[in-house]
Amino acid sequence: MYAKEMVKQSLPLIIFCGLGAIVTGSTLGVMQDLLREIPGLIVIVPAIIALRGNISTAFGSRLGSAYHLGVIGADNLWNEELKQNILGSFILSLFVSIIIGLLAYITSFILGIYPNPIKLISIVLIAGLISAVILNLMTIVIIYLVFKRGYDPDNITGPALATFGDIITMLSLFGSALLVEVAI
Amino acid sequence: MIYSWKKIVKHGLPLLTITILIEIFAGQILQGKQESLMLFPVFLISIPVINSISGNIGSVLGARIASGLHVGYISLSLKDKEMHDNFLISILIGLITYLILAIVIYYIALFSKIIEDIALIEFVAIIILTGFLLICVVSFISVITAFISFKRGLDPDDMVAPVVTTVGDIMGIVFLFTIWGIFGVGI
Repeated sequence: MYAKEMVKQSLPLIIFCGLGAIVTGSTLGVMQDLLREIPGLIVIVPAIIALRGNISTAFGSRLGSAYHLGVIGADNLWNEELKQNILGSFILSLFVSIIIGLLAYITSFILGIYPNPIKLISIVLIAGLISAVILNLMTIVIIYLVFKRGYDPDNITGPALATFGDIITMLSLFGSALLVEVAI
Repeated sequence: MIYSWKKIVKHGLPLLTITILIEIFAGQILQGKQESLMLFPVFLISIPVINSISGNIGSVLGARIASGLHVGYISLSLKDKEMHDNFLISILIGLITYLILAIVIYYIALFSKIIEDIALIEFVAIIILTGFLLICVVSFISVITAFISFKRGLDPDDMVAPVVTTVGDIMGIVFLFTIWGIFGVGI
């Protein structure tokens, strides 16, 4: 009985998240030509997805804790605590995006592939910032709705952000690579 | 005020940098195999799926073990029966999920006409074998991470998810190319 309950509770959500990942994967599939034209682009894919996942789930879980501590709520959302959290997540995204671009360039260089460093860093930076804006906004909207209905944010933000986060990050990377490829 | 952006950056940066280093390594494996991935885009689509499933299952298992340790119905022993049950159920959930999603991916690829020279049974077998190996490794790491962090007085809830997703990302890619190579499809 116990095993049956566990399978029943977690299987649907895991399959749903997997279907979301198919959207992420298909975006990667559509980007084939760009991946071929921009050496080093494929190297940043796992890193930028991990960056977004880490920063936004931490952002969501901090807002959840802030809610439980009573420093943030549906009628007291846009305050200094939230602003500091947003600023922190932006600055982290900015820093780490540059690190990803640099590392992707350096490791490729060592392996004998010579990407354009400016192109690569611009792509990660633009994709990192676009996805940060979209996902932070989304987190705030989700948190607001969750607060208003009196649900526990800890149960909702994690899976929701993990699934939408990957899709939005991959789309941002696609958009950013297209933009930089045209502009530079 | 309990949050400041400086603290958030200072606390986040070290773990993120380590994660990024490992993920860049995973990215270089992809770059090395880029030609094969371009010939068989069905595997390119599969990579985020393989990693998402193992990451989620590992995180759920870790969270369950963490709650068990906190409440006390799981003991800090590799022979704990409750832990073994959770472990086996994770593998079961993993196998079901990989089977279903492999079939979905195959038919999406078939309808978008990007599938070449690979039979459904072959593709499903590659994904399931990769998934099985990956779930075993990820579940093991999830339990070990939960145990070690609990023993040291750290909250397993903060540790398991980042460790499991990072290790899962790189091992997923390694296992996929290994199994794919053994099957010898297009390589």
